[in-house]
Amino acid sequence: MRLSEKRAWSALAMLLLLPAWWIAHRNTTFIADPVEVFAHLPGFLADPGTWLNIGVTLWRVAAGLALGVAAGVFAAFAMRHSRVLREVLGYYVTAALRTPSAIAAILAVAIFRGNEAGYVAVVAFITFPYMAVGLRDGLESADRELEELAQIYHLGLWRQIRHITAPFVAPFLFSALRNAHALAWKVIVVAEIFGAARTGFGAAFEHAWNYMLMVEVHLWLLVFMAIVLIAEYGVIRRLETFVFRWRG
Amino acid sequence: MTSSDTVLKVVDLGVSYGGSPAISRLDFEIRRGEFVAILGPSGCGKSSMLNTLSGLMAPTRGRVVVDGDELYLPRSRDPRLGYVFQAHRLLPWRTVRQNLELVLSASEVPRETWEARIDEILEILHISQFKDAWPMRLSGGQRQRVSIARALLVDPSYILMDEPLSTLDEVTARSLRQELTGICQRTGATVVFVTHSIREAVYLADRILILTRGPSTIFEDYHVPIERPRDYDDARIREVEADIIRRIQVPWGLDMPQTTERRSA
Repeated sequence: MRLSEKRAWSALAMLLLLPAWWIAHRNTTFIADPVEVFAHLPGFLADPGTWLNIGVTLWRVAAGLALGVAAGVFAAFAMRHSRVLREVLGYYVTAALRTPSAIAAILAVAIFRGNEAGYVAVVAFITFPYMAVGLRDGLESADRELEELAQIYHLGLWRQIRHITAPFVAPFLFSALRNAHALAWKVIVVAEIFGAARTGFGAAFEHAWNYMLMVEVHLWLLVFMAIVLIAEYGVIRRLETFVFRWRG
Repeated sequence: MTSSDTVLKVVDLGVSYGGSPAISRLDFEIRRGEFVAILGPSGCGKSSMLNTLSGLMAPTRGRVVVDGDELYLPRSRDPRLGYVFQAHRLLPWRTVRQNLELVLSASEVPRETWEARIDEILEILHISQFKDAWPMRLSGGQRQRVSIARALLVDPSYILMDEPLSTLDEVTARSLRQELTGICQRTGATVVFVTHSIREAVYLADRILILTRGPSTIFEDYHVPIERPRDYDDARIREVEADIIRRIQVPWGLDMPQTTERRSA
């Protein structure tokens, strides 16, 4: 599919949302009028406070995700190379994978007492098992024939990791990263709401909700969707296209 | 013949897996520039032999000497080998040039000569136009040519070829087979070529090491009595092929059609 065609379909998907939104607005008391919401959008985006809250949440997601990815990569390599660590870390990974996001958010906020580190920690805790499991599966399916190739041509450990293992597990890594990224956004909002954060997307959303500022609630929802979509399509997928350009 | 002419020397080589022997005993030498085919029935230990000759697996017994250096001594020098696998084993995420550069990066070849060296080898294999192509864009034959280029690139002591034409269609295999002897003569490469095809072995090789059924030993060191250049469809190739078939019939336990007819008559 060509780029222009892709964009046309994406635009159509967005436009389809509008009639559904309008019908919901006509039939409920708490869904704001889409026209009114879009009328407030320029002023909302011009407010520096909006960008401050977005920036704070973005930073928490990015830092937590970076930590989660690093921990996941470490855990995956450790589980691959040591039987003992595989057993020990396996329990932690499974437990973290099954922990509900809300419980993790409450625990992290309680442990860190609303400290900034708590929000980062909860994102890292929730995302790391996805990275660990995804990457471990990739490493386990590593091509024995390519390892032999590396051995015969004396590529050495570093070249083997960089030029053979890493590109081989890249699809697994990206798949895990996408899941982790989607989850990170879900959990940070929960953590910000439960943690009574003063700034951030969740804090602003909760404030609007508590005061029944429904237009503002919808504006925050729109911004949230926009950020998640930009991160997915503008960053992750573009990176994926570049990394897998050899697939043609 | 001086001793420096010997590139590969295999002495009393034996390989066992958990006490069950795959190779009973192998003794042979290969001289520089020779094209030696290895012919053996399925399960005779050819893979084990290739693994030991490529440095992937230490033998249970015996020695492998490459250019005068013992291959499996604790402080032995890593030999410069080329390997053409049955499937090409190119890295799909690297272009042809990048695949070749990776092998060079692990060799002692000076970086400033890489470009010229790659160009020269690609030219010999008639794939210069694919230098910056991704392997996925190449046909099976072109990928195997790149694999041969990669093996030749490091100026190896010898090249192991493990049925490199068996996965190609007949037309492509025929054309590559035809070029292979020329490429090896031009580059002076020493080749150990494993194949199931007797005719292919006769067409390509100077010598054919015929193995017994597993656990294998060398049943016969057969010198192909046909001068080069050879024609794959030449009657003499067929005659030699038939002669080898006659020789291996008993040791390989083959039940040939004419034998069956004779028995039933």
